[in-house]
Amino acid sequence: MQKPHSLLKVEDVVSYIGPYTILHGASVDIKQGEAVVILGRNGAGKTTLLKTIVGLVNTRSGSITFDGKSIVGMPTYDIIKEGIALVPEDYGTFNMLTVEENLRLAMLKEDGESKDRLDYVLDLFPDLKIAYKRLSKTLSGGQRQMLSIGRSLVNENKAILIDEPSKGLAPVVIERVALALQEIKKHTTVVLVEQNFALASAVGERYYIVSEGQTVANGQVEDLVKDKELQAAHLGI
Amino acid sequence: MGKAKVKVNAADMIGSKKMSPVQIGALLALIATFVALPFFIGNTTIVLVCRIFILGVYGMSYDILRGYTGIINLGQASFFGSGVYIGVLALRREADMLHFIVALLGATVFCLLVGFLYSKIVLLTGGVVPGAMITLALAEIVRNLAERWYTVTGGQDGLSLRASSLAINFTSASIRLGGRDKLIGLYLFTFVFLIVMTLVLRQFVMSPTGRVLMAIRENDQRAKFLGYNTDHYKTIAFLVSAVASGLAGVFFSIVVRFAGTDYLSIQTTLDALLMTLVGGTGTLYGAIIGSGLVTYLQNLLLNLAREYSDFRLLRFPMIFIGSIYVAIVMFMPSGIMGGVYKLQAMRKLKKSQANK
Amino acid sequence: MGAILTLLINGLAQGALIFLMASGLSIILGMMGVINFAHGTLFLWGGYSYVWAYYVIWNRVAQARFPDAYAIGQWGGSVVRVDRIALPSGQALPFHLDLLIFLAALIIAVAIVFFIGMIFEKLFINKVYNNAPAQILVTLGLQVIFTDVARFFFGTEGIQIVPPNFLNGTTRLWGGTIVHYNIFVILVGLAVALIIHRIITKSRIGMVIRAGLQSPEHVKAIGINIRRYFTYIFAVGAGLAALGGALYMPFVGAVTSTAGMNNQILAFIVIVVGGLGSFLGSAFGSVFIGLMTVVISLFVPALSVVANVLVMALVLVFKPNGLFGMAVNN
Repeated sequence: MQKPHSLLKVEDVVSYIGPYTILHGASVDIKQGEAVVILGRNGAGKTTLLKTIVGLVNTRSGSITFDGKSIVGMPTYDIIKEGIALVPEDYGTFNMLTVEENLRLAMLKEDGESKDRLDYVLDLFPDLKIAYKRLSKTLSGGQRQMLSIGRSLVNENKAILIDEPSKGLAPVVIERVALALQEIKKHTTVVLVEQNFALASAVGERYYIVSEGQTVANGQVEDLVKDKELQAAHLGI
Repeated sequence: MGKAKVKVNAADMIGSKKMSPVQIGALLALIATFVALPFFIGNTTIVLVCRIFILGVYGMSYDILRGYTGIINLGQASFFGSGVYIGVLALRREADMLHFIVALLGATVFCLLVGFLYSKIVLLTGGVVPGAMITLALAEIVRNLAERWYTVTGGQDGLSLRASSLAINFTSASIRLGGRDKLIGLYLFTFVFLIVMTLVLRQFVMSPTGRVLMAIRENDQRAKFLGYNTDHYKTIAFLVSAVASGLAGVFFSIVVRFAGTDYLSIQTTLDALLMTLVGGTGTLYGAIIGSGLVTYLQNLLLNLAREYSDFRLLRFPMIFIGSIYVAIVMFMPSGIMGGVYKLQAMRKLKKSQANK
Repeated sequence: MGAILTLLINGLAQGALIFLMASGLSIILGMMGVINFAHGTLFLWGGYSYVWAYYVIWNRVAQARFPDAYAIGQWGGSVVRVDRIALPSGQALPFHLDLLIFLAALIIAVAIVFFIGMIFEKLFINKVYNNAPAQILVTLGLQVIFTDVARFFFGTEGIQIVPPNFLNGTTRLWGGTIVHYNIFVILVGLAVALIIHRIITKSRIGMVIRAGLQSPEHVKAIGINIRRYFTYIFAVGAGLAALGGALYMPFVGAVTSTAGMNNQILAFIVIVVGGLGSFLGSAFGSVFIGLMTVVISLFVPALSVVANVLVMALVLVFKPNGLFGMAVNN
């Protein structure tokens, strides 16, 4: 099963916010083209793991390599330029910008390919096409999530980190997000943090479980679906 | 960031433990030195040291607010300056002890009232930034009023005391030494003021109220959750700080024998800020060291400006003082006493690690 | 009727001047989370630089045109000393030269302070992001240092300055007196407001500003180095303060070193009244405070500052989001 090329490798990372150490040695290894879900209880450090990867949270020790290059200590905007996109928790879309502006602001280059990708995003999420000129603060939660995901697709990214896209959304909307993610993972590597196990198992192939700031288990999602004991121990299902 | 942080808790440092005999000895020696000092220095220097004593109290009063509650009051000069005005106004009538005491009482009442008003406004606005903005503006009003209320304050000309007004009974006592009269009375009077105020403020900081203030400084939210009415405690700190500043102002009036709107201006507030910063914010005694260094430096600059009158840059002392001030905020935010405490704490930490 | 018109125009001119100062302060606060207590000194440096540039250029031109122009005195401090030159009676510079000198002096003043602003941000502000107490202390320190540096450079005495000839006049209308310079100031204020509004709504920088006002972290997270924008935004804010300072000095007739702190307090009042961090709020707040100042000054001149501070206190206490509820939630 092992795919040859390791795209994003996090090894024994310890990271902190102010005086608080959040990650106490987290390791993940994500291969090119994989769809990996990060699971765990509330406050386990899943979001911090994503933020640590993109440099929004400081790393004290350990290594993070992306596409063979160490990205520890690099400023966030440079890490993003290496080809990682972050879809933050609670969307992170900009209220006072229109849908169009949100998408354009995220474009690192304005060339033909970016235009094509923009069209692709608008085809993927027709809602955004309809609301194209509207301020994003007028969008519903689901539409903001689509905008946030769409924003991560306008650049030529090697990996997309998505933080709890189902949070606060109605089941119907979650289904649409799931469909979109299944489409997206065909083209790019996806790392998905999710509490919603149904969504996680619909998208992910492999999983990591984070508990108290450490990665404590990993394996194939299909195995986890059967392993009720492991689910109960770490996911509270 | 990233380094192991040494937590310094001023509460542990300021006399919470019994002093060792060595420390008591050192303290007594220090006091003896200061009592003996005027016999060896000239009157100009004596007056300078008097200023240092009084401004030390002013600095400590500022530290009570800044260091122990985190509020940045940019209107502290309103209290100190008013104290100077009240002192001069009272002593202009008659320069005796009675009028001096009246001035002290007057300044206390005035600072309680104005301080209460200031604190209410600051606390209602909440937050350090709006608080700083509004106190800056309030102080500007007070200064403006003083400038316009010519009949009482003398407007921009200010008010002065005649030289003989130094004679507040025993403060005029002088000793003839080496053929010159020395201002021993004034010196001892202000020295006693410093010691009394240091003891009072120390007692305040170590009191249960002071402990709560420190808890607030560490974590406002947590203190609230613990059930303390933090605004109530902050108001108390504000009032203590205001009154101490006002009293220092009254004492200052007998040393400088002049009251002017400069004492109400932002520069005077900055003096207090600088003294606490140099000494170490939240260390109380640091302000006395700060006062010594800052006042000495200001005096030095003044003398240099007089001596090298061609070097006109020296006529603008705020350029130098301000630069030091900015440098301290940026590079030495814990000040001298803060640094000392940190060293002590680190030594303790090492010792305890070595013992393990 | 005429009196009201006069009052209205004076108030709007006052408002326009405060706006130039407050808008920069407001954007810097909203986007960078930095409260700049040195804004007054930037305003002051704008004023001094303008007066210096204006006199120097004007003197050169006048002496070249009129060989018999003569010096009637000097002003200045320890670094800058400039002649006051009188033209032979009945002589004046032609309109186009006056206009060019005026514009050149404005541009020079704004450029100098823009540069000072960049230095402030790179050397000082940069180091104290996310630390409000340190920001207050450092910028306050810069305020007193640079105010005294200005006094050292340009002298401690007030320097007289009148508007250029072509703006230095009055018109009577419906029994009221309209000062031409005030109309000009209002127009500049309006133009600047429109330009900033356009930049904010239409350009990429504007998108970054609007996004940054909401969350600088999320801007970083889409690959934008927002710190790089901060330097320029701070410098532009400084430039706006300088423009305000440059236009303010002829408005009151003289440059004095206390103008910086006084106007900074006014600008603080405006951004509180308008809603902390909001550009539009600062525009409305400026007009409001400008008009109020003029009206109160008419009845009780001594109380205008008191009244303004009182309004600020009331707004802080009862409407912390500003009179127009526009504060940027940070």
